[in-house]
Amino acid sequence: MDFRFTDDQLTLAESVRDYLAGTHGPEVLRRLDAEGNRDPAIWQGLTEMGLTGLLVPEEHGGLGLGLVEAALIAAECGRACLAEPLVDTAFVAVPWLVRNGDLADLGAIAAGERQMPLPHVLNPWVADGEGSALESVDPLRNLVMFPAAGSADPYLLDLGALMSAAQLVGLADAMLHQAVEYAKIRTQFGQPVGAFQALKHQLASCAVAVEFAKPAVWRAAEALQDGGESASVHVSHAKVAASDAAVLTAETAIQVHGAMGYTYEVDLHFWMKRSWALNGAWGDRAWHLKRIDQAVIGGTMPIGPEHTFA
Amino acid sequence: MKLGFSAEEELFRQECAEWLQGQMAGEFRDIKGISTLTAKAERRKEWEQQLAAHKWSCIGWPSEWGGRDATLAQQVIFAEEYARAGVPGRVNHIGIELAGPTILAFGTEEQKQRFLPGIAAGQTIFCQGFSEPGAGSDLASVRTKGRLENGEWVVNGQKIWTSLAHISDWIFVVTRTEEGSKGPKGLTFLMMELDQPGIEVRGIKQINGDAEFNETFFTDARCAADSMIGGVGEGWKIAMGLLAFERGVSTLGQQMAFRNELDEIIAAAKETGAARNPLIRQRIAKAEIGLRLMRYGALRMLSNTDHSKIDGAALTYKIQWATWRRSLGELAMDVLGQAGELAEGADYEWPVLSNLFLYSRADTIYGGTNQIQRNLIAERGLGLPREPRGDA
Ligand SMILES: Cc1cc2nc3c(=O)[nH]c(=O)nc-3n(C[C@H](O)[C@H](O)[C@H](O)COP(=O)(O)OP(=O)(O)OC[C@H]3O[C@@H](n4cnc5c(N)ncnc54)[C@H](O)[C@@H]3O)c2cc1C
Repeated sequence: MDFRFTDDQLTLAESVRDYLAGTHGPEVLRRLDAEGNRDPAIWQGLTEMGLTGLLVPEEHGGLGLGLVEAALIAAECGRACLAEPLVDTAFVAVPWLVRNGDLADLGAIAAGERQMPLPHVLNPWVADGEGSALESVDPLRNLVMFPAAGSADPYLLDLGALMSAAQLVGLADAMLHQAVEYAKIRTQFGQPVGAFQALKHQLASCAVAVEFAKPAVWRAAEALQDGGESASVHVSHAKVAASDAAVLTAETAIQVHGAMGYTYEVDLHFWMKRSWALNGAWGDRAWHLKRIDQAVIGGTMPIGPEHTFA
Repeated sequence: MKLGFSAEEELFRQECAEWLQGQMAGEFRDIKGISTLTAKAERRKEWEQQLAAHKWSCIGWPSEWGGRDATLAQQVIFAEEYARAGVPGRVNHIGIELAGPTILAFGTEEQKQRFLPGIAAGQTIFCQGFSEPGAGSDLASVRTKGRLENGEWVVNGQKIWTSLAHISDWIFVVTRTEEGSKGPKGLTFLMMELDQPGIEVRGIKQINGDAEFNETFFTDARCAADSMIGGVGEGWKIAMGLLAFERGVSTLGQQMAFRNELDEIIAAAKETGAARNPLIRQRIAKAEIGLRLMRYGALRMLSNTDHSKIDGAALTYKIQWATWRRSLGELAMDVLGQAGELAEGADYEWPVLSNLFLYSRADTIYGGTNQIQRNLIAERGLGLPREPRGDA
């Protein structure tokens, strides 16, 4: 029993973090927002990092890694507020196609030639599908409504919810960081506003929510990878915890910035709006809470003294 | 990440479960399921000795001192089976989890030999003398005085909130030994025998009717010069080292107890019909999530083998569980409705869930209040500017 990542996993996540920090800062988000949202060079870069093929089996030209690695990287995508449909294509669609034995497109996906956001009955709007884009609260999301209803497969939903949760913890981390840095430099009444407990304690509460949401996400990734029967409930734990953490942190971070937090000028709103969008995607909080309450109270999940609860 | 247990570990689980359940069905069935800290104290001291006789009293300690050198996974398993079997809390948990590890880390060889066998054997029950009437959150402002006189420490002053002092044998106290010193400087950490004329213990009644904690008065109380852990003036360092042990493996056993509490609430909700109420269902689902988060957070904290480094998980753990449990108490009351307001006996004796509601009000206070935890998280974790510090 060990809750640590391997060195390989940590190195992979760090290299993605560094790459995105170096190439995909807030100035890129602003440029994309002004210039039509997508830049093929970004996708090219992600492909060259091997990320489009992260979950594609090696014989189809990918790296053949698992959902834990994918979740770690999805969190990095959230931290960088990456708008390209990497997570939807490479971490949601790919494992679903592999599970269904539908292998035809995997090579093209790994090579970065194909993007494949998938709709689900619970989630009929998807980013970067074909068709004319709707205006989303998240300005960098090219949302389209799929003409035909999507799949109703719970595994697809679980993948989407898990990877949204992973992005949400990364988003929350980034927003907390922005708010803390601002609280250290903005002074009022002769001291940094971060010295006021009223702010400090709210930021600490965000830190608690974020720190505790993370392992729930890793646990869910591990459960979904293993395919155990309670995997769906683990995914719901992760989705609710990560949504709660990101929404709390978004609200707090804006408040900490004062009027600056209400401006387009401050970067924060990109992260806040992505959080808003992902909070409702792949089953909102009410939906996942219901799935948990059915499992716990409805008896589909074994509880009671004869069971452990790893 | 490796989240399951190995076959060997499962065998160990079986061994723990069989022994503990056997005890709770046999010789010690009269203490099974007790939820207050003080009930049947004498029997629970015998239970400490029974644990020791079968080498279960301190399995995480080194084997040369009566432990089993148990791995983290084994300690987790034992703690889980302990709670699952309905064994009541350890009356010597302060000795086993705080005093012992502190002596192991900072004591001299002679002190280890003097104290550890008694603690391991369940013969020496310890309590913790940190807080004073004027020094709660601001622990460094303690005023209880210690002075060396003819090869003995002589102590004068008062401690308060001393849990289980009335059934303990020894107390460790943080004393101010440097005249005129302030804050964390000039403090010394002493071990004192309670049964002596200079120490008086008076119970304090709590909101749940129990009297787990006490006032402890020191009037020319004495202990030998070498009953000091660390050096003169090093009391703060030792006290902080001791508090770091509080985040030990017992937290995982504590979670199994929490699991039992939540399961009991779910069962009650089904019985009273509250489980049909969507608001209650949602709160139960949230409680379930909170419990899971705690579980993973604790495993993550304990998986970090570098215990000198306080990581995000360790820093946030106390406030998370305390706040969770306090709302669990509120949920229990809403599930039970007015029936939860009725005591079981004439002497203010509470059923488990009502006691949970009352007792859990203390969870966000002892061991560092929620406010103090948030200060620590903000300052040490997030690097925000520091609070004013008393006289330090
Ligand atoms: C059940 C129980 C068992 C206990 N057992 C023991 C024991 O065995 N041994 C022992 O030594 N002690 C024990 N304690 C004492 C415990 O450690 C203290 O209660 C705790 O440290 C808080 O101190 P206080 O009660 O004096 O509160 P205070 O420090 O007086 O705090 C009062 C209020 O002010 C807030 N506050 C204080 N400082 C700040 C700040 N800087 N910023 C923001 N808010 C602040 C607090 O959060 C709290 O809400 C026990 C307490 C309880 C409830």
